Amino acid sequence: MTTAALHAVTALEGPPGPDLVRIRDLVYQVAGIFQPDNKLHLLLDRCGRRMKELKTASLREYFECLTVKPQRQAELVALLNEITIGETCFFRNRPQLDALRQVVIPKVLEAKSKVPLRRLRIWSAGCSTGEEPHTLSMMLLEEAHGRLKGWSIEILATDLNERSLAHARNAIYGAYSTRHLTPHFRHKYFIPAGEKLQVQPVVRGSITFSRLNLSDDGRMTFMKGIDIIFCCNVLIYFDLLSKRRVIQHFYNNLLPHGYLFMGHAESLHGVSEAFRLVHLPGATAYIKVNAARRESRRI
Amino acid sequence: MNPAATKANLLSRIDGLDRIPTMPAVLAPLLRYVQAPVEPLDGQRVTDMIVQDKSLAAQCLQMANSPLFGRHRIDSLRGALAGLGVHGVSDIAMSCGVLNLMPKDSGGKGIDPVIFWQHSLGCALVCRHFARKISYPDPSKAYLAGLLHDLGIIVNLRVVPKEFCEAYEFARARGIPLHEAEQAVLGFTHCESGRLLADKWELSNDLKEVVSLHHSLQQSNHAGLVALVELSDLLCRMGGLNYGYLENRQVNLFEQTGFAVLSQQCQSLKDLDWARLTFEMDSYLDPVHALVRTIYRT
Repeated sequence: MTTAALHAVTALEGPPGPDLVRIRDLVYQVAGIFQPDNKLHLLLDRCGRRMKELKTASLREYFECLTVKPQRQAELVALLNEITIGETCFFRNRPQLDALRQVVIPKVLEAKSKVPLRRLRIWSAGCSTGEEPHTLSMMLLEEAHGRLKGWSIEILATDLNERSLAHARNAIYGAYSTRHLTPHFRHKYFIPAGEKLQVQPVVRGSITFSRLNLSDDGRMTFMKGIDIIFCCNVLIYFDLLSKRRVIQHFYNNLLPHGYLFMGHAESLHGVSEAFRLVHLPGATAYIKVNAARRESRRI
Repeated sequence: MNPAATKANLLSRIDGLDRIPTMPAVLAPLLRYVQAPVEPLDGQRVTDMIVQDKSLAAQCLQMANSPLFGRHRIDSLRGALAGLGVHGVSDIAMSCGVLNLMPKDSGGKGIDPVIFWQHSLGCALVCRHFARKISYPDPSKAYLAGLLHDLGIIVNLRVVPKEFCEAYEFARARGIPLHEAEQAVLGFTHCESGRLLADKWELSNDLKEVVSLHHSLQQSNHAGLVALVELSDLLCRMGGLNYGYLENRQVNLFEQTGFAVLSQQCQSLKDLDWARLTFEMDSYLDPVHALVRTIYRT
């Protein structure tokens, strides 16, 4: 198929076609990641890339590749990779980070105010090459002389992939990863490393990188006393049963007041009833159902 | 300022003043007609009312061509009727008519009233979408309710602009809900001033309650509709269809009075995918902002 012909198939003009909507709904049903109507052109573009690779002529045929053909599992993973490509960068989801700083951290500190140990434990589960835990560390350092004065911060950053972890430990990043950095963060927390930037030791000091398979029930059991979990665009690759197991672990890993943050358009609907969605300014997160009930009784 | 002392003073100013907006000539019969229990609505009659006001008719066509109302190419009201149906056309006409009442500026007090336009239109769309999702019996009424719920802000902007702007800045600086700031600064909220306008306009009782009780739904006799607006309004304020600032707090929709009330009326609410509803709202942001810029700034 020529590029022009493929463009004709995958150009979004007029209402989105039923095949694209079916692909959107399939991705949401299987992976839990949603593309709203205003982002459907991106999904269409990603499908177009895969269709070019597979030499598929129509979205209908591509939908069959995702649902009927023997290689459907691998194709779904390939499409998910296309959907989430380029999302790994510092300050990936600014509203989520602002909500963490302005609403969640104060609530967690309040919940822990009667506990003598002033320690905050945050887990970046599926940290890839480390942009997320480094971002979190920088955000929390900004509060070090404010509301986090006297608190020790532990950021646990885990991933399955050793190569990603090596990159994360090295903490040297190129222009693409650092594109959302404001001058303030760029100058305060990075030093030049050739044409790239390296994260300063003060940021790295609170982070522990380690290899962890989220499906490893034995090791997951030992992740205890966590205040906040970030697990963004990781569970989309898991089947429903595995996803449920991981979420159950997260439930056990989190302290009663704990928070679970997922990716920007990622949902736990149909996966777990142990967590409850809450709305934060410009973002969403999940809290434990029991905690939600306790909070409502306090009101 | 002493809120208790100012409340009576400001409310009396609102009640007595001719600056309180009168309903546009075209809107009054249209509103009466769409509120009346007439089924099915007569499309020709609705378009006949709209064409009486050329400017309103032109705005309606602009709005009808927005992706918010489908992806039809519409070049006449007749075409709009065919593409969007009579409820779609009356929703659009009401939107243009009501939102035109918003003052174009706040008298140099620092608020761009466009944000309230965007919030009201956004809330109307979310109410209708939400209503359809939970099989609420009258999505068009839900749209109208979302559109009108903040009538009191129009009143406040027109009649007590200086004091209202103070309340708005108070809310924005602290990241608190606007009605709480109004209560603290003015001694009353847009629900009370909105009620005065709703009475003056002789809105139906359910819409009057939407206007006056969407922040205190316990007192409502039409709790289902008010609950729908309460929840949609909250979703808008916690997301991109807010009043120009984000409220600095955590909202658990399941613990809202509106959720308990609406659950009794709509069984499907218990299974609603709130995350998906939240993500779907994102698709309104750009078209709402673009539409408001196009219509409001011309």
